[in-house]
Amino acid sequence: MTDELNTVSEDDLNAYVDGFLSEADRARVEQWLERNPARAEDVRQWQAQATELRAMFSPYARSDERDRALLSATNVSEVATSGDRWTERLGSRIAAGLLLFAAGALTGLYAPHILTPQRSEQVAQVAESLPRQAQSAFLIYASEVRHAVEVGPDQQTHLANWLGKRLDHPLNIPDLSSLGFSLVGGRLLPVNGKAGALFMYEDASGQRLTVLLGRNPDNRETSFRIDSSGGVETFYWIDGPIGYAVTGEVPRALLQKVADECYRQFEKPAAS
Amino acid sequence: MSSSRDRMSEGAEANAAAPDRFEEDVLALMPALRRYSRSLVRSDPDGEDLLQDCVEKVLARRAQWRGVNLRAWAFTIMTNLSRNRHRHTALHPQVELDDDLGLQAETYESDPLERSRLERALNGLSAENRSVLMLVVIEGYRYQDVADMLAIPIGTVMSRLSRARHQLAEAMKDDNVISMRRPK
Repeated sequence: MTDELNTVSEDDLNAYVDGFLSEADRARVEQWLERNPARAEDVRQWQAQATELRAMFSPYARSDERDRALLSATNVSEVATSGDRWTERLGSRIAAGLLLFAAGALTGLYAPHILTPQRSEQVAQVAESLPRQAQSAFLIYASEVRHAVEVGPDQQTHLANWLGKRLDHPLNIPDLSSLGFSLVGGRLLPVNGKAGALFMYEDASGQRLTVLLGRNPDNRETSFRIDSSGGVETFYWIDGPIGYAVTGEVPRALLQKVADECYRQFEKPAAS
Repeated sequence: MSSSRDRMSEGAEANAAAPDRFEEDVLALMPALRRYSRSLVRSDPDGEDLLQDCVEKVLARRAQWRGVNLRAWAFTIMTNLSRNRHRHTALHPQVELDDDLGLQAETYESDPLERSRLERALNGLSAENRSVLMLVVIEGYRYQDVADMLAIPIGTVMSRLSRARHQLAEAMKDDNVISMRRPK
């Protein structure tokens, strides 16, 4: 760890991993890391840990149909001592809980527990797993500085042909420049156990988005859906044989524009 | 399940201010609290237990809340509860039940072996180091926020964070499990 320009502390390395450094300090740390491979390896491990931990715990950031009941149960004695309207308040709480539950069921939040018909269950699983996989891929690859993609934007035609072939579906790579995002590149990755494609985009500030395509076994269509987990938002839809998911840590309105744009461009027949 | 009933009466007199709005706010925080709670403990049931204890405490102490940043306040309460539980578990070790992240298995596709190794490595961390790591990495708090929430100096936040990271890396090193996920 000896270095004539040893201006990087343990705290700096942590702040680097956690994204709390200014642009200038980031560059300084990166230069220093190039000359200190052992610490660079530490940093790489810490980044991998962070990605893995987020992926591991973010699915827990969800509501549960029992949450309201939990709050009410905890408050029953308080309500009772406050007097007269106990039953009324409890009644309205239960009603509210049921409403919440029904709303959840309608949006499919609790669907795995209550929808038993096999076909719709299977459909729900495929549709459910797509945003999860898209979020995992985003969390893993968007944080990679050097190896975010396998094929860069300079080989766009090759990228489209290669991934189109692996996906067994000819495709256009969406051009998102009208929204300020340029292509970083793409990679092959497994989606639902089959070959899928991931495209990554970046805006001028380095904010990244991913577009994931995977084969959809049961050939159907869905409307746009949204799923968010730990600040990561995903718009996804299924269009016949292919499921699409657009993911990023950006405002929902912007992500929706991106999803609209992708949808529009994927609709056009691919130029081969 | 922890005993909740006996402590509930303490909360009864504390509810003079803003009744339902407060509960709605807590309800809106449930996903965040659930995630943080699970990240501090060994199993899903432990996570739900800790969550319940925390909600109880938050409601019971609502009169003490200063009206700013409910989330940070609830997280502080959760962190303290978890540290107490951790001490209790250390004194009264229990037979470990299935530690699987049950939800995980359905929603996140990852090598189960790798996952259980990371879980084990996490379980080797002290409650203090683990909570700092989770507040920064999962919950996205800045170092100074963590220092304020836990009422410790920022230097202590940094050393706990660093220790947690080194210890995790060390525990995973033998199998080099995390490295396997590196993209080509």
